[in-house]
Amino acid sequence: MVKLVINKKEYLLDLKGHETLLEVLRDKLSLTGTKTACEESECGTCTVNINGKAVLSCITLAADIAGEEVITIEGLADGDKLDPVQQAYVDYGAVQCGFCIPGMIMSSKALLDRNPHPTQEEIEYALDGNICRCAGYPKIFDAVRKAGEMMQKGPEHAGPEDTKEKFKTNMAKGITYEEFLQMKQT
Amino acid sequence: MLLRPLTFHAPRTIVEAAQLQATLQEARILAGGTFLLNSLKLMKRKGSKTPGHVISLRKIAGLKGVEIKDNRLIIRAMTIINDLYDSPLLSDNTLILRTVCKNISTNPIRNMATVGGNLTCRYTWTEMGCVMVALEADMHFIDHEGKEEVVSAENFFKSAAKTNKIFSHVSLAIDKTATVAYRRVKKSANVDVPLLAVCIKTHLQDKKFTNTRVTINSGVAFAQRDHKLENFLNTQSAQPKLAIEALDYLDTEIYDKRSDNYKKHMFRISLKNAILEIAEKSSWSN
Repeated sequence: MVKLVINKKEYLLDLKGHETLLEVLRDKLSLTGTKTACEESECGTCTVNINGKAVLSCITLAADIAGEEVITIEGLADGDKLDPVQQAYVDYGAVQCGFCIPGMIMSSKALLDRNPHPTQEEIEYALDGNICRCAGYPKIFDAVRKAGEMMQKGPEHAGPEDTKEKFKTNMAKGITYEEFLQMKQT
Repeated sequence: MLLRPLTFHAPRTIVEAAQLQATLQEARILAGGTFLLNSLKLMKRKGSKTPGHVISLRKIAGLKGVEIKDNRLIIRAMTIINDLYDSPLLSDNTLILRTVCKNISTNPIRNMATVGGNLTCRYTWTEMGCVMVALEADMHFIDHEGKEEVVSAENFFKSAAKTNKIFSHVSLAIDKTATVAYRRVKKSANVDVPLLAVCIKTHLQDKKFTNTRVTINSGVAFAQRDHKLENFLNTQSAQPKLAIEALDYLDTEIYDKRSDNYKKHMFRISLKNAILEIAEKSSWSN
């Protein structure tokens, strides 16, 4: 039996030597937030964090990481409260089809935990292993930058300037989002 | 199932790992896994026979980290590429390793791949070997009886990177007077497969190159020290026009025969830029 520590929970599993972490997460533990695509370390959709570093679960043998701290996308939110990185992705419309997003978020999280104020170059460098087929990179980069600010300043600084709460208040008055933006400009 | 069934071993000491390797038939050493696991998947897809045993070095204590000892930089085999990149101990001639690390693949791979795996996985792509030969590194191996063997990086790659011992660390002399330039070319703009790597290490004093080493990894052969070009550079005074002269000198049979036009072109550009970088660093380009 092998002890895996995933999302701060211990699992005692009867692992086969050839089983990858990706297979164990998805097939044995039903943690399907970690996506499977190329399965040969090219796309980054299977990214998880091990000991705080973004790594690829498709080329990690599960037995090899016994006792090490694994965090998957399921381990970020605190109940209904999203992690600042997840929240920033939502607030900044960084999610298109969404397939690459768990991997993107795990890479972003590993970066921001080390460096909450990354430059554009540092963001691109940290996310260079995560491919977005929708090519939605600009918004993803914005979200990473803002998530860093949120993590530093606290959740009250969450979201773009036109925060959701402000927008919701105006929306209740029957104002559309476009009108809201126009109001802000004038 | 991505891989064929295999028996996984996690030895706790390097000698134990070497003993397992000596005892088991068809065992493969697992360092970071970025090359091995993908190649095992490929072998499975192709229907080829795959090894029945994998020996992981991950749980071996003391096989990770960077330190300086007797004015030599010691990089242990299981040091992660990104940890080497972040190491504050890289300086002078070894600072070039930061550029090498930065060029390697993508971030998740750099978080997994190890220096030992990069140097010993027997794949000709891996470019760190090129720099290790240029920097006159020594590679240290441990056998199943715990005996250490030291092989120069140059000899290791000359023998096509073959060994049945466990690689423990690489050591490099810290040389404050050396100037090093390194260039690496990808196969194409979109595919991050190294095509070739060029590293020049030299000492420039009074506008004269001394003790120059030129190393090339062609992507076909393992990293090789190019004596012909090295001899040429060693005999020249350090002048900016040398970059162009060196390229003209390359239009010899050695380089023409082994390369297609794209590769030859990229090789010339890499080498020219490496020489010009040395010129810039040494402030004689004007």
